[in-house]
Amino acid sequence: MSGHFVKAADRGLAACHSCGKVSPVKLEDCPRCGSRLHLRKPASIEGTVALMLAAAALYIPSHILPVLRTTELGVVIDNTIVGGMLTFWQSGAYPIALVIFAASILIPLLKIAALSWLCLAATGKMHPSPEKLGRVYWITELLGRWSMIDIFVVGILVSVLQLGNYVTVKPGPGALAFAGVVVLTMLAAMRFEPRLLWDRLDEDAEAPATTHESSPS
Amino acid sequence: MIKGFSRTWRAMLPWPRPRGGTRYSACHFCDTLHEFAPLEEDMAARCTRCGAVIYQNRPASLARATAFSLAALLLMALGHVFPFLTMDAAAMRRELTLAGAATALIDENAPILGLSVILFTMVTPVVLAGGMIYVCLPLMFGRAAPGAEFTAKWMSRSEPWNMVEVFLLGVIVSLLKLAKVAEVGFGIGFWSFAGVMLCMAGAVAGIDRDELWDRLEVARS
Repeated sequence: MSGHFVKAADRGLAACHSCGKVSPVKLEDCPRCGSRLHLRKPASIEGTVALMLAAAALYIPSHILPVLRTTELGVVIDNTIVGGMLTFWQSGAYPIALVIFAASILIPLLKIAALSWLCLAATGKMHPSPEKLGRVYWITELLGRWSMIDIFVVGILVSVLQLGNYVTVKPGPGALAFAGVVVLTMLAAMRFEPRLLWDRLDEDAEAPATTHESSPS
Repeated sequence: MIKGFSRTWRAMLPWPRPRGGTRYSACHFCDTLHEFAPLEEDMAARCTRCGAVIYQNRPASLARATAFSLAALLLMALGHVFPFLTMDAAAMRRELTLAGAATALIDENAPILGLSVILFTMVTPVVLAGGMIYVCLPLMFGRAAPGAEFTAKWMSRSEPWNMVEVFLLGVIVSLLKLAKVAEVGFGIGFWSFAGVMLCMAGAVAGIDRDELWDRLEVARS
């Protein structure tokens, strides 16, 4: 009972992922751009969950292992992301400390939390409104890239801070793990199929009260 | 000759339609099916169910996308020649370039990181801006360049991986980090890439995906 709204999938029509043209899914390939046609992205939940778990696993070493190894007059100092942020905070550079906190610590965690929520809603284990979820999905896609800032800072410092015997800087293993977190969360967000949220909503509307007897909010 | 003229003339329309019967458009977010309705310039079509924008008609879309992309490419070239950041410390002057940051990572045993810097800040912007010119410039005259569909597909795939603005914020953070130990300043490269960032945003926002593909379809027919 999706009201007077008709879905493309109900008529066997699929919007092309690449060019947006709506064609019968029977054609298999988009007649305009040649991309494969799907009613829904195949194995989207499984793919999103797998990529997300991989990202969550890498998140831990990315914050424990050093992202930068500084050698100052022969003394080796290992810097983690959190350590770098705290240095900024202590020296009074609060805006920069907050930017690093948001980009490296908060956004990856928020992305993982948001994607878990979306996956739970798409499989029918939670029932928030699709509009709200849509906003969450949009923000997740928008913010993801900004976490890459730490990797760029590492690259910049490694390139510039090479002052012979005084100071040298080398990238640490944490940087690779963190780049992995960013790329994997971005891939996970792209893999997610938002249309599943609406499919779930329509299924719930067609079979009221039988599947779940939650009280109306 | 008549045919050539009519192609060019059709390309001047705000949004030429491919031939065929009723055309449909599906919301990419909730999959609600809509009949495709022509839009006036500067208008957007929203989904009747979820409110997401389905397509919009940008004025002077092809000219805008081409012009911004061309400017972005020129500024990119400038940004690769001049440093992003200069640092004077211990009687030494060090300069940062994009290629320098990438090769430093590769030299210091972090080849994957180096390659991601190259991919996200050097390759994707060129693919995006170059692809946009390759596709949109001939379309202004109603012609589709060979392989334009392939190029357009890769443009939309590379879009989320363009991280010029993130790199620029990284330069600012690094500058503040370095300011404690050395004399640092922004270089011409930084300002060039700030321009690249704005131009890329203008180019990408200048044209709607559906419009671009409709124009390609019309030019091929």
